[in-house]
Amino acid sequence: MKIARREGVLITYALGSCIGISLYDPMIKLGALIHIMLPEAGNQDASNVFKFADTGIRETLRKMALFGGVKSRYQCKIAGGAKMFEMMKGNGIGNIGARNSQNVENVLRAEGIRILRRDVGANYARTMLLDVADGTVKIRTAGHPEITL
Amino acid sequence: MKIARYEDMDDMSKDMMKEIGSIGTGNAATALSGLLGVDVEMTLPKVEILEYNEVVECLGDPEELISGVLVQMGGNVNGIMLFVMKLNFVDEVAKLMLHKSVSDYSEMGEMEISAATEVGNIIISSYVGSLSKLADVEISLSVPGFAINMLGAIMTVPMAELGYESDKLMMISGKCIMGQKNVESNLLMLPDIESLNYLMDRLVKPYE
Repeated sequence: MKIARREGVLITYALGSCIGISLYDPMIKLGALIHIMLPEAGNQDASNVFKFADTGIRETLRKMALFGGVKSRYQCKIAGGAKMFEMMKGNGIGNIGARNSQNVENVLRAEGIRILRRDVGANYARTMLLDVADGTVKIRTAGHPEITL
Repeated sequence: MKIARYEDMDDMSKDMMKEIGSIGTGNAATALSGLLGVDVEMTLPKVEILEYNEVVECLGDPEELISGVLVQMGGNVNGIMLFVMKLNFVDEVAKLMLHKSVSDYSEMGEMEISAATEVGNIIISSYVGSLSKLADVEISLSVPGFAINMLGAIMTVPMAELGYESDKLMMISGKCIMGQKNVESNLLMLPDIESLNYLMDRLVKPYE
């Protein structure tokens, strides 16, 4: 998880089945970028809370609040959740991306945060950039033009 | 000894994985040479337990494109095997099997993908074959899946699969000489922790 105020570009590289979640408070130009790998922490002794959607989002919200962020102002954009390998049996490996994006949406909804834009699914990796100066999110992929979310 | 994470493996266990690796490598070289019609030599592999970032660093840039063949293991041993190929490896395979060269991943058509998948599948099957013989266990393999994607993203597949059990990966890497060309090959062998314990009980315990 990366967090910055007023200026700077936060980057998370090569999101495959992982999800990048950008949270931005435009009033105070506070931005955070999370990179989660799995949908739920479950009973894990959370050695790294940011690996999981539920604990990662909650911990980020707590940190942002410490920096003066106000939840009702947050603009949220998500990207990732691709299906990396097309396996014959659609178990586990194939659909971790879909499970990730589903749970990210659930956790954000439970926190009362609306997702403004999303670029999820398909089968290619994405690099996500958040410009903290104005909250612009760019998505870089291999073989597709860069897009602005 | 009970292993809870990959990094708990002691020298004895790692040596055992190396031994499996070198037998697997030998079998893979023989099988590949039959398929490609040239001499294939493989150096003695290195077995390393690495963090996700270290694996990516070892192989290149996170945004660099790479191709991979993924096979799921089932039966007595559960887990996944991931074989990653750089462009020079794919190019050499295409040249030898199809008399075509591949200078960019976008040039890969159905035939090139199928050839690369088959080579990856053979290497994985050779490793798993030597493992199952040595440990006298039944391991079934899924149909291989193929992907061309950013290196960082391909490596998150095994990470996500093992995410609840380990933050580290086990990588077997070595040089492979096909005909005259020197290409690198990297195999990630990832039994789940329960299966790893099961294997070590069968392989290491008798010598302790």
